[in-house]
Amino acid sequence: MQTAHEKTITGLIPALGGANQIYGAGMIESGVTIDYGVLVMDNEIARMAKYILRGIPTNDETLMVDEIIEVGSEEDFLSRMSTLKMMRAHQSKAGLIDRRVREEWDMDGGTDLYYRCKEKAKELVADHKVEELPSDVVDQIKAIVSKSEKDAGVV
Amino acid sequence: MIRSQHAGIQHNGGVGIDVFTPEEMQAIHWGTVEVLETAGLWVEDDEAIDLFADGGCKVDRATKKVRIPQHVLEEAVSWAPSTVTLCGRTPDKDVVLEGRRVTYTNFAEGVKAVDPWDGQLRPTTKKDVADLARLVDALDDIEVYTIAVTATDVPPEVAEAHLIEATLANTTKPICSLALGHHGARLHIDAAAAVVGGHDKLAERPMLEFLSCPVSPLKLMGEFTGCIIEAARAHQIAMPLSMAMSGGSAPVTLAGTMVTHNSEVLGGIVLAQLAEKGAKCIYGSSTTAFDLQRAAATVGTPELALISAAVPAMARFYELPSYVAGL
Repeated sequence: MQTAHEKTITGLIPALGGANQIYGAGMIESGVTIDYGVLVMDNEIARMAKYILRGIPTNDETLMVDEIIEVGSEEDFLSRMSTLKMMRAHQSKAGLIDRRVREEWDMDGGTDLYYRCKEKAKELVADHKVEELPSDVVDQIKAIVSKSEKDAGVV
Repeated sequence: MIRSQHAGIQHNGGVGIDVFTPEEMQAIHWGTVEVLETAGLWVEDDEAIDLFADGGCKVDRATKKVRIPQHVLEEAVSWAPSTVTLCGRTPDKDVVLEGRRVTYTNFAEGVKAVDPWDGQLRPTTKKDVADLARLVDALDDIEVYTIAVTATDVPPEVAEAHLIEATLANTTKPICSLALGHHGARLHIDAAAAVVGGHDKLAERPMLEFLSCPVSPLKLMGEFTGCIIEAARAHQIAMPLSMAMSGGSAPVTLAGTMVTHNSEVLGGIVLAQLAEKGAKCIYGSSTTAFDLQRAAATVGTPELALISAAVPAMARFYELPSYVAGL
């Protein structure tokens, strides 16, 4: 809980201040330790912070006054076409953050955010593919490492 | 219903905060001018002292003190570009850093990891450098990979070579390096040049930002100045990043801390500009408060949140991109 509190204030307030790069994802213990699960959690916090930065766009399309009058007090907005059409663009995405009611969460194992993030980290480390460097580039970099070892006298 | 076009209504285009008024930033700037003109910076290496001297600074070689006059400071800082594009292996990963645009990157440099497979706390290895690069490559809201940990399973003298080897193979995102001095920075530049097809191509599309720290208060070690000079001359991105601790290596007040912090970072930016006019620079901060009750450098605090929101305002005051601690 303390980690998530600290991550939120130090991830969000600098973002509101307009920092071009905010570094620290994955860090715990004042920078001694990196935690794979926390790194994935921080990606979730970063996404939420970026949503907040968008503010509340206020124009005819978003004020929706005609539709509010049309719906009045007789209907609701759940079944409206506009809700379906605009939900992706206008709502934050929960990702690994669980917003379900307790019963559903319990039935699904009742895991905490850290556990889910850790599992996601393992999955991504195992499955995510980065395009391989050409073999001549790999060799050139190996040569730089070997030269560095020779210069330092460690081989 | 006709809802006609407004004649120029003002929109926010997002939400943000301004920690300082323009006059408050001016006051921090003038404080910085006084500090750099009178106390000056202690600079370890002759190479950097020579650059400051040739650039019009007052240099006392016996005490290694460099005093930067206001006109040199303001002119040199104005040479740094106000928009910087940090390039990935492919252009779809390029990141524009300017104004109030916000991106995130991971922490560096850890020496221990919590292993996600067995939950154990253990020293970090070269495999962690690779695994964390690949993990960050997969996370959409983290735009840049900062080389996250050191490799304790290789000899420390050659760790920097192994770090860049593991990083370049496992991410297509831009890279923030903590290489030390000329030697470390050159190693990372040579390796990145191999990936993009030579030093000229790397200069055209800078892939590396070099995070380097002064020692607070007001000291520039050789490892710092060497890295800054090397980054500037290779047309990569030089990032002086102060780690001042309010109440320890900086005044106990946050405003006073902003003055020493600003003096250290601008000293680094002036050096980069004197080494290579127009060098791309980023204004860096890991400045925080030293918890005097616990005698610890704490980062998950309201002080850090405020400083890291105030720093980008100062960076914009100088029309520079910013990089701050958070998360």
